Amino acid sequence: MRKTIHSASDGIALKLKVLAKEKEDVRRKLVVTAREKEDVRRKLVITAKKLRIKAAQLAVTAREKEDVRNKLVKTAEKLRLKATQFAATAKEKEVVRRKLVITADELRMSRKTLEKKVLERTKDLEKVRAKDEAILASIGEGLVATDKNGRILLVNKACEKLLDWKEGEMQGKLLSRVIPMTDSTGKIIVESERLITKTLKERSISTTTTTMYYKRKDGTSFPVAITVAPIFIGKELIGAVKVFRDITKEKEIEKARSEFMSIASHQLRTPLTAIRWVLSSLKRENLTEEQAKLVKTAHETSMNMASTIRRMLMISHLEEDGMEPELEQVVLQKELEKISRLHDAHRQRNGLELALQCPEDLMVRTDKQLLIEILDNLLSNALKYTPRGGKVNVSVAKEGESIRIDVADTGYGIPQEEQKRIPEKFFRASNVASPVEAGTGIGLYMVYNIVRLIGGTISFVSQENKGTTFTLLFPS
Amino acid sequence: MKKHVLIAEDDTALADMMGKVLSKYNIRVTITYNGKETVEALEKEVPDLLLLDILMPVLDGHGVLKFIREKSMECPVIVLSNLSDKKTRDKCKEMKAQNYFVKNDLDDDDLWPAIEEYLH
Repeated sequence: MRKTIHSASDGIALKLKVLAKEKEDVRRKLVVTAREKEDVRRKLVITAKKLRIKAAQLAVTAREKEDVRNKLVKTAEKLRLKATQFAATAKEKEVVRRKLVITADELRMSRKTLEKKVLERTKDLEKVRAKDEAILASIGEGLVATDKNGRILLVNKACEKLLDWKEGEMQGKLLSRVIPMTDSTGKIIVESERLITKTLKERSISTTTTTMYYKRKDGTSFPVAITVAPIFIGKELIGAVKVFRDITKEKEIEKARSEFMSIASHQLRTPLTAIRWVLSSLKRENLTEEQAKLVKTAHETSMNMASTIRRMLMISHLEEDGMEPELEQVVLQKELEKISRLHDAHRQRNGLELALQCPEDLMVRTDKQLLIEILDNLLSNALKYTPRGGKVNVSVAKEGESIRIDVADTGYGIPQEEQKRIPEKFFRASNVASPVEAGTGIGLYMVYNIVRLIGGTISFVSQENKGTTFTLLFPS
Repeated sequence: MKKHVLIAEDDTALADMMGKVLSKYNIRVTITYNGKETVEALEKEVPDLLLLDILMPVLDGHGVLKFIREKSMECPVIVLSNLSDKKTRDKCKEMKAQNYFVKNDLDDDDLWPAIEEYLH
């Protein structure tokens, strides 16, 4: 029994052992399984994550695909449009091609017309050129064109005729060499002082101001008036054109005019002299106060008339350049007193004061008649343009080698804006035309010209309603 | 004895007027209307004063002055001319250095005293 028991218990124990082993196996298997399950779970988690990513990616892709599709749709549309356009262009091209064909035909046609027209135009141009040349040739005045170095390019017929040169002989030569110029004394004008030189240098028009003479081929001369103008292409100076005119006729007329002036004034002077002498001799008689006054006035008037005639003559001489100063010793004070005496009557009538300040022994070597003319005019103006009660002051002083004479008045003055016109012939200031009717505007014109002749200068300062001071400076 | 003045002036009106004015001062006057007549009068009698114009027909004032110098006549001359330029004055001076007087427009009142001076 015990054995059985023992055996029984042994069986049980074995069974238990087996069971335990089985249990252990199961446990181990369970552990493995758990681990495997854990693995699987993890894998599942990973897979799930991957799936999510995939899903997301798929979503993106889907979107992209949608975009692409949209784009494709758009492209397709564009292509359709393009195709339509192409079709249109093709049609247009066809139209153009047809037009081109027509144009080509037209061109062929018009080329012939054009050729004809060109021929016609060329003929026209030749006509115009011939006309220009004819005009150039027919200009009565001599014409010379030069390059910028003063070499002759072309001359017209009148130039050839006036100077007795042929164009071919002049071309390429220096103008100043081919055409010598002299002044009225026959002195040759050097190249640097020729108008052409001046024009090319200063790029401006120059004109003769005094009578100049041109020499012909044979050496004879004739008086000319010349104008030289620069020729520009754009801003570039390319030469000069000179136009000149034989003024022999004008000179003759001028001479006749001057002779007429001279004869007329002599004819006027002679009877006037008779009148003046009778009056001046009458003044010395025993006359009643009233008679004396009348004779004095008549004498003064006739003296004024003589002055006017003298001025007429002098201007005529001045404008002919025919005046040369004649120097002699002049006692200034004596002449000034003489001049002022001439204006005594006017001065007294208008209640004007006159003061002369001059060194008693001051002598000057100048042209007496011209100096008298200047001073007479300045004094006459000062007295004329100063209202009643005013004062005129004449002062003379030596300044180095010069003599300075100031003629100052307390008169109407010269308006500022008109001052620069003072030396003009016939100019009269606007503010004196009405208070002083008598006046020709010739006095100061003459003065300015005479002052130049005696080598002096004249200037003035003036203020309206304050007065004017003329200052004369001339060599002693 | 009356002083004698010879007038040489081609403008008859002026010459006669001068003559009349001078006559009033108890002066004997001879009037000539051109230089040739003047020279003829001078040959006859040398006056106390010659009033001489320059611009005259036949023979001008310069010619008369030349004649006076050539004959060495002692005859005071007052040149009365409208030609008051220096050239004329110098020429007059050259011809007869003393006793010349050229009138200009400014000295009417000097003329009579100048004439008186020669007739004292």
